[in-house]
Amino acid sequence: MKTHIIINYRIIITAFIVLCLLFITPGFGQTDQQQNAQSQNDEQPTASPKSSARKPVKNTFESIWILDNQTVMVPIKKTFELDFMHRFGTIDNGYQDFFGLFAGTNIRFGFNYVPIDKLLVGVSFTEYNLTWEGYAKYALLKQTQGGSIPVSVSYYVNAAVDTKKQGDYPHSSDRWMFFHQLLIARKISDKFSFQVAPSLTHVNSVQGFYTGDTTADGKSVLEKEMHHDHFAIAFSGKVKLSNTLGLLLNYDQPITKHNVNNPNPNLSAGLEINTSSHTFQILLGNYHYITPSRNNYYNHNNYKDGQWLIGFNLTRLWNF
Amino acid sequence: MKSKMLGVITLVIIFIVAASFKFFQEPKPWPVPDKYNKMPNPVKNEAASISAGKAIWAKHCQSCHGKTGKGDGTKAAELDTHPGDFTQASTQSETDGALFYKTSEGRKDMPSFKKKIPDEEDIWNVINYIRTFKK
Repeated sequence: MKTHIIINYRIIITAFIVLCLLFITPGFGQTDQQQNAQSQNDEQPTASPKSSARKPVKNTFESIWILDNQTVMVPIKKTFELDFMHRFGTIDNGYQDFFGLFAGTNIRFGFNYVPIDKLLVGVSFTEYNLTWEGYAKYALLKQTQGGSIPVSVSYYVNAAVDTKKQGDYPHSSDRWMFFHQLLIARKISDKFSFQVAPSLTHVNSVQGFYTGDTTADGKSVLEKEMHHDHFAIAFSGKVKLSNTLGLLLNYDQPITKHNVNNPNPNLSAGLEINTSSHTFQILLGNYHYITPSRNNYYNHNNYKDGQWLIGFNLTRLWNF
Repeated sequence: MKSKMLGVITLVIIFIVAASFKFFQEPKPWPVPDKYNKMPNPVKNEAASISAGKAIWAKHCQSCHGKTGKGDGTKAAELDTHPGDFTQASTQSETDGALFYKTSEGRKDMPSFKKKIPDEEDIWNVINYIRTFKK
């Protein structure tokens, strides 16, 4: 069956313009600290401005997570991170399930490790359909203080398998979903960081439907409800409110148009609290599944219909 | 019988109240190798460094050492040894190199920050910020 992937070009053009702005705006990536450091270097000929300028920018984001998306960040080598994530039910039932807090929840445990510089690997287990994930993130580029590298870029890949005992999958390969994401971020100032993240989700198994038409040889025409591949793009930002508190904003826009069951965009906002070993994010958004491929492909919560839900991400770091 | 019961209850209450107080151990001397004692601070003590140090202090140090370095952070009471009052001469008279050694190596309650703060420049920034506590 021929696959038709219809792409919303307006979204791609918008993303391209945002990316261009990130790259070309002069002085855009210099934080106050970096600018001060540079002026300090100008005053001190004995210092080594080259080495300082080539140093990577610190703390573009404080965590590997920004709400439902990954950030460009890869912790330092030999860091072990435990993630504990929770998404409650939607708030639209009001007091009946106490704004979703007593409704069906979704929980994820993640175990991450950084075995070598720039590479994070991990495995996680999510309550929804007993989904196991294996994933990796590699830091391809790191924004430098001098601006010679204007953005940080990381590549994230995730394979997810649904292990729930049910009869929907004739083949075990049908249980698999894959997710690729390119994370492009820039620390624009000491207070503000921004990330653009195009992604591709591949789902091995899709539902079909009969169109009601027949072929020349009298057979019924079968179409796929959704394409196997789904493109999307995420825009995320962090505003630093204090040294330990940040405001997080995120928007995920589906790009691929399917025959039916088009997923809805996700709009989310949250607060982030950082300590030496913990990061705590509390959020209001639309994504329920936590698994990135499922979030992007199957989200049917619509913010226009008030289908928001409360969630949190808690991470604990250990350095070995 | 009644007075015996009252006596037992009183003893139990005294025990619970006594157990709820935290008794800090006297800090033992913390020798610093000569190499570190004489190590100069390569980062100039100025606004940019102090600002960077303050951000790291808030994230990694404040919970035990307190916002103003008096050792009155929210976790201080859980420690066996008092984290020290950094506003006083006992800390401020130490060299930058000695503070660098203690911050990066750690001891008992005080964790090593070599891995949590991997860039040495950041530890020097924290030391420049600690100098602002001086009274």
